[in-house]
Amino acid sequence: MIGCYDFCGHYEWTFGWLERVGGHALVRDYWNEAINHDSQRHARDLIRNEGIPGMLKYWGHTLLEESPDLGFHISHREDVFRIDFHDCPSRGFLLRNGLNNYRDYCDHCMGWTGPMLQEAGYVIDHEHNHRGQCWWEMRPATATGGHAPAGSVAGQKDVRLRPDWPRDPAKLDRYCKASDPDAKLGAASPA
Amino acid sequence: MNAAPTSGDLPYVDTKPQGSADFYYATNATFRFLLRRLGREGWIGYLQELGRGYFSPVNERWRAGGLPAVARYWRAFFAAEPGSRVEVRELPDRVEVCVHECPAIRHLRAGGREIVREYCQHCYFLGAARAEAAGLTMRLQGGNGVCRHTFATAAAALPPQALGDIKEATS
Repeated sequence: MIGCYDFCGHYEWTFGWLERVGGHALVRDYWNEAINHDSQRHARDLIRNEGIPGMLKYWGHTLLEESPDLGFHISHREDVFRIDFHDCPSRGFLLRNGLNNYRDYCDHCMGWTGPMLQEAGYVIDHEHNHRGQCWWEMRPATATGGHAPAGSVAGQKDVRLRPDWPRDPAKLDRYCKASDPDAKLGAASPA
Repeated sequence: MNAAPTSGDLPYVDTKPQGSADFYYATNATFRFLLRRLGREGWIGYLQELGRGYFSPVNERWRAGGLPAVARYWRAFFAAEPGSRVEVRELPDRVEVCVHECPAIRHLRAGGREIVREYCQHCYFLGAARAEAAGLTMRLQGGNGVCRHTFATAAAALPPQALGDIKEATS
């Protein structure tokens, strides 16, 4: 039986298998069709119907289940919803267990949330360092400009204020007002 | 709640004692996607490669440790799956995993999800690939929430698997 305890392990393995069988297009289709439109349809419905309050309901619940030791922090205002991951439960599981069957596991988050939020009328600012730390800001699709300064939404909980957060942008994967997993501004190699 | 499993029980371990049941939604959705895009043979190939590849550390432990290792694994496995009611029986030539309530079927139904009808066959195609890699055979009877997995040595001389013995899953 495929269990839920080590889900992130076989989920990551599946990305690599799909790419070998059907190329990058099949991986993208999997994230959008299987995860966004099927598995996570409860998230889709909540966010399409309620916007940022729906994001708070969805991620507030699911992250608490996945990361009961609170390796994340949620901030929200009327115009922005933000998550800072200081210890991603999903990427952390892979790192602790030495699992690496796909070139960048972290892409799966933009792979399914990007299209989901686009359909709901939002765009994403995001950076990840492949080591279990990342941040996300979801704003209405009318938002423009670059990334908000560190600390301006999450205060001291902003992951970019960590002493070990890379200062060199080349060491990060970056997205700005994006909804497509391939819309990276910089593409650092996963460690 | 139980303590988090140790690396002696399961090949991959997390910091929490049980998984998040909502991930069963993703497994069900993955099967639907693979069946639609790659067909039944593609889906079976995925399960067999997953069994031989991702699960290779388990298979190696089974090969080295025999049936006691199989029994230990399944006890630890189901202890980490929320909502499962399972009994693991050790017999001289086999281990029987008697699933009185499948945690995945239970959660998918509770969440109002359309379960792919082939869902229960995944345990056979995946389990048989893992067993073969460990020098064992695997058979499955039942399904749709209640089933029995048998992992046996060659001495058990189990009859071939009849896929008709595996029930279709219903939502």
